[in-house]
Amino acid sequence: MRFLFANHAQNAYQSLRSSRVRSGLTMLGVTIGIASITAILSLSGGASKVISDQIKALGGNIAVIRPGVVQDPISSLTNSNSHRDFAASTLTEADIVYVRNSEHVQSVAPIMILGGTIKADSKAPDGTPIVATTPELASISNLQVRDGQFLDDSISQDTAVIGTQLSIDIFGTESSIGKTVTIRGKPFTIVGVLKLQNDPINYNQVDFDNAVIINFASGKSLNRSVAQIQQINIKADSTDNLNSIINHLNQVITASHKGEKDFSILSGDQIAQPTSQPFYTIAAVTTAIAAISLLVGGIGIMNIMLVTVAERTREIGIRKALGASNGGISWQFLIESLAISIGGGIAGYVVGYIVSFGISTFLTFDPIINWQIATTAIVVSIIMGTIFGIYPAIRAARKDPIESLRQYS
Amino acid sequence: MANNTPPVIRLRGLKKRYGIGDAENYAIDGIDLTVKRGEFIAIMGPSGCGKTTLLNILGLLDHSTEGDYKLDGQSVKSISKRKQARIRSRQIGFVFQSFNLIPRLNVIENVALPLTYKGVTKTKRLKMASAALANFHLNEREYYKPYQLSGGQTQRVAIARALVNDPSIILADEPTGNLDSRSSHVIMEELADLHKRGNTIIMVTHNPRLTTYASRVITMLDGKIDTDTMTLAALQKPANQKRALGKHSKKRKPKRKKK
Repeated sequence: MRFLFANHAQNAYQSLRSSRVRSGLTMLGVTIGIASITAILSLSGGASKVISDQIKALGGNIAVIRPGVVQDPISSLTNSNSHRDFAASTLTEADIVYVRNSEHVQSVAPIMILGGTIKADSKAPDGTPIVATTPELASISNLQVRDGQFLDDSISQDTAVIGTQLSIDIFGTESSIGKTVTIRGKPFTIVGVLKLQNDPINYNQVDFDNAVIINFASGKSLNRSVAQIQQINIKADSTDNLNSIINHLNQVITASHKGEKDFSILSGDQIAQPTSQPFYTIAAVTTAIAAISLLVGGIGIMNIMLVTVAERTREIGIRKALGASNGGISWQFLIESLAISIGGGIAGYVVGYIVSFGISTFLTFDPIINWQIATTAIVVSIIMGTIFGIYPAIRAARKDPIESLRQYS
Repeated sequence: MANNTPPVIRLRGLKKRYGIGDAENYAIDGIDLTVKRGEFIAIMGPSGCGKTTLLNILGLLDHSTEGDYKLDGQSVKSISKRKQARIRSRQIGFVFQSFNLIPRLNVIENVALPLTYKGVTKTKRLKMASAALANFHLNEREYYKPYQLSGGQTQRVAIARALVNDPSIILADEPTGNLDSRSSHVIMEELADLHKRGNTIIMVTHNPRLTTYASRVITMLDGKIDTDTMTLAALQKPANQKRALGKHSKKRKPKRKKK
């Protein structure tokens, strides 16, 4: 049986070589599908890795509370989650107090992201985030200032810290300390400029280079005294105590929310799930392309295999007369379709990485290379080859040897 | 001739029907036949008398509608399809009129093909195929493609392929049908040589001259056996004389009705 298998593989190779253009075009369908999958996985893996590296660099004692229940990765890949931005957050100011009063919590920083016009010498680009938080954010997220200072409770409430890039955009200079910026019509004095972070993807979901940071209280007053909390960052006094804090907070906050678990507390790699909006849109579109091209590619394989079976009817008859069993014949054609799909899969894997490295030159992170992606690519192509090759193979095996031998003779 | 061995093939009331209802037509209409090991049988008859169908049934490529076919004493109906493929691979060698080499494969790969289904390793396969080709003086053509050979050479390759497994039964369907008389002669010499080495050969032919090589000639008509004769060559052997005389007490009568 082993020899038969090797022989089939050699046979498939010869047969595919003898009709190179046809096999190449058939493989192309699989290649495009697998390339899209590889590109999505390697880029999303790269994005997750950026965040998990940040968390690790911060000491691994960070947890975040986010409103809503976190979906599993598959459904969050296809469901772009856009409504979340507009829905009222389920987190309240009371929750911040619960966190602050918990044991082993070193510091707490709520994050409230607001939209609105930011004006100085020139107007800030649309969608520039206004982040309202507490001074502790600097220590939790390791935000450093290049000039001036971070927010401080001891100085005036109407102060702001600004990202380097935003400073250049609205003031034309990096050193904008002491200048005034108008946020939603209210003037704020700039007390600090952040160091260039250059990581638009992070677990705070804010690109701090392009953001203005104000005090939590000011943010609330801008928002008609309503706290709209997108996230609460928690830093434990040590990594060992993180789990006990999470368990404790889960109980306390659930109780205070009338028993509804309408929030999630994430730590470690859970935080790393990329959640940024454009990323999801791209991922959703590419997933759709991948699915369609895999389906079309699979139909192409089936089509070509049916043609091959019809062309080689006589060969099937000869082989049967020489002692091939039905199983032997169906294996021969199944292996041929597997050769197409695996060949296309390997090409797709390579092309996928070329594409994702190409894309990553426009991004701030690199695609990751790991065995899971390689395995996924191979397994998907094997499944395709089997699903779309099994029907032609069975048809080949069922051919009547006498009818087959009579063909073209 | 080995008279004492059990018959290789034993047919009883074999019928093969094509079509149903009004279009019903018996390609084989009740054949009784016993073939002993080492016989060289030539089957003759007009087109459409069921020769090829009979050969296909003997080679387990087709199945009878009625009647019993015992191969080596075992009823074919009781053999599973998988086992039948095994028998085709190990005991039966086919030679076709249209050669039926696989055009994609070269000569030696074509000859080695039956061995793959027997589970022989590649190196051994090629060695055996090369040895089989050597018997037919085709060593120099091993890496030719079938279309690069002459008709006679192609048919010798086909015979080499049929023999590479060392089958006990060789079924040949008009092996010389497409060849000129010189090539036909060469092919027939090869078959006669195989017969001498103890193989059972059943050959369908249109050419009456070729029956001189056979030990027994069967003519068919309308799906039935018309005549079944020992040839002169076979009768010259004392064992056969005894058999022919003992049964029918008619000396050297070349033709006898079976029924």
